Amino acid sequence: MANDKSSMQLVANGILKENPIFRLALSMCPAVGISTTVMNGFMLGVAVLFVQVCSSLTISMVKKVIHPRIRIPTYTLTIATWVTVIDMVLAAYMPEAYAKMGIFVKLIVAFAIITMRLEMFACKEPVGASFWDGLGMGLGFMIGMMTIGLVRELLGSGAILGYDVLGFKPLLFFILPSAGFFVVGLMMAFFNYIELYYKRKKGFKS
Amino acid sequence: MKNIITIIIRLTLSCLLAAFVMGIFFVMTSKAKKHNEHVNEEKVMYSLLGYKVGAPVPETVKLYAVYRYIVTDPAGKSIGYLVPTGQGAETGFSFIILDLDGKLIEQKPVTVTADDAAEAESRDKAIKAALGAGKEAVYADDKTIIVTDNGARTAYLLSGKFAGFKASISVMLALKTDFGIRGLAIVEHEEDPGLGAEIEKGYFKNQFIGKSFATLKTLDVVKEPLPDAYAKAMEGVKGEDGGKILEQYKDHAIYALTGATISSRAVTNGVKGTVAKFAYRINILDNVLKEQHIVVPF
Repeated sequence: MANDKSSMQLVANGILKENPIFRLALSMCPAVGISTTVMNGFMLGVAVLFVQVCSSLTISMVKKVIHPRIRIPTYTLTIATWVTVIDMVLAAYMPEAYAKMGIFVKLIVAFAIITMRLEMFACKEPVGASFWDGLGMGLGFMIGMMTIGLVRELLGSGAILGYDVLGFKPLLFFILPSAGFFVVGLMMAFFNYIELYYKRKKGFKS
Repeated sequence: MKNIITIIIRLTLSCLLAAFVMGIFFVMTSKAKKHNEHVNEEKVMYSLLGYKVGAPVPETVKLYAVYRYIVTDPAGKSIGYLVPTGQGAETGFSFIILDLDGKLIEQKPVTVTADDAAEAESRDKAIKAALGAGKEAVYADDKTIIVTDNGARTAYLLSGKFAGFKASISVMLALKTDFGIRGLAIVEHEEDPGLGAEIEKGYFKNQFIGKSFATLKTLDVVKEPLPDAYAKAMEGVKGEDGGKILEQYKDHAIYALTGATISSRAVTNGVKGTVAKFAYRINILDNVLKEQHIVVPF
C-alpha cells in the first residue's frame, strides 16, 4: 500500500486532521495529568515526539522481519527502549526538568497514541513516510498539550510560562487533574465547531 | 513447531538489541547523572547554610558526615554510627556500636578513604570488613552532616523523609547547635501542583526559619490568612523592617497553605519529628564520645 501523501501533508495530518488529543482522543491520561502548565506540556511533548519518531523509524525499518503474530510485543519493546533512553538522557542532562516530570516520562511506554501509530502506519509504510507521520503525530501531541497547559495555567495559577500575568488566581480548580477533562472537552468542542464552520463556508455538507 | 522457533529467535534477538541500545545509553549517562545528584545536594546544603551559589565558602568551614547503621548480631539489634575520628593530620573513621540504651558496646576502626565513605557501596563494604563475621550492618538511610568553623560546631545538616498528601516528602534541614531551625529545603515531593506543591515556595517553607527547639515541640498549624508583610519578608523582598517582621513571627504557628492543609500539616509534623529524633540521637552519641574520650574533629 503505497502512500500518496507528501511529507508536509503527513505532518499537517498529525497536527490538525488527526490530532492525537483533540481528534483521536488518545493518551488522555497524561494529557490531563501533566498539562497543568505550558512548560510541563512542552517538555512531555518533546519526549513523546522523540519516542514517536524513533519508534516509527525503528519499526518501519524492521517491518519485514517482524513476525506478524508477535507485532505487539515488538512494538512495546521498541517503545520501552526509546522511553528508557530519553528517560536516562533527561535525568543526566536536564535534571531540573526531570525532577518535575520524571514519572510521566516513564508512563510514555503505555501511551496509546504511539502503539496505534506503529500499528496503523509504520508497519506498512516506507521509512521516510513513517518519519513524517511520527513527526506530525508528535508535534500534534505537543501542541495539544501546550494548548491545554496554557488554558489551565492561565485559569488555575493566573500565569503563563511561570510569569504572573493576572496577579491573582481565578479558579484554583483548573490545576486539579479532573479539570483537565473539562478543558480537553471544551477545546474539542471548540475545534469541532471551527471545522464545521469552515466546511459549511466552503459549501460542503457537514 | 517451526513457527515457535522463529518467534523465539526473533523476540530474543529484538530483546538483545534493545538491551544493547539501553546499555549504551546507560553507560553514556550514568556519570553525568551521578554528578548532577551530587552537585544538587551540595547546592542545597550550602544554600541552607547561607552560602550563595558561586560565592566562596571560607576555608575554616568543614563538613563531617555521620552515617547511622542498624547492626544485627545473635544477641539482638544495636545501633552503629560511622564517624570520622582524630584531629589534624591523623584522621580516620570509626564504627561506633551502641546498645539501645545508648551505652557503648564497641568501637572499631574502619579503613576507608573519605571519598569511599561518601559512596554507599564502598562504605558498606568497608564497614562489613571492619565488623567481621557474625554481625551485619544495614544502612538506616540516615546521614547527618556536622558543620564546623574553626573546629567549633556551627550547624547540623540532616535529611528527613515523611508522608505527604499522597507520596512521601524528602526534606533537608539545617539546624543551629541548639536545634533551632536555620533553614529548610524541600528536596523531593509529589504534592499537587498549585496546591500542595507550594510547600517548596519561600513563603511557606521559610516560616520554619528561626523556630527554636522549644517552639518546635508545640508547633501548630493554623488556617489563617498569611499576613502580607510576613510573606514579603520571607520571600526576601528587601523592606525597611524585614528582619523585624521575621522576628515578630518567630514563635508564631505555621500558616497553612490555602487548599493544602494536609500538606502543610505533613511538613510541620515531619519537621518536628525529624528534629526531635535527631536531637535525641546526637545527644546520646555526644555523651558516648565524651565518656569514652573518643577524639573527633567536630
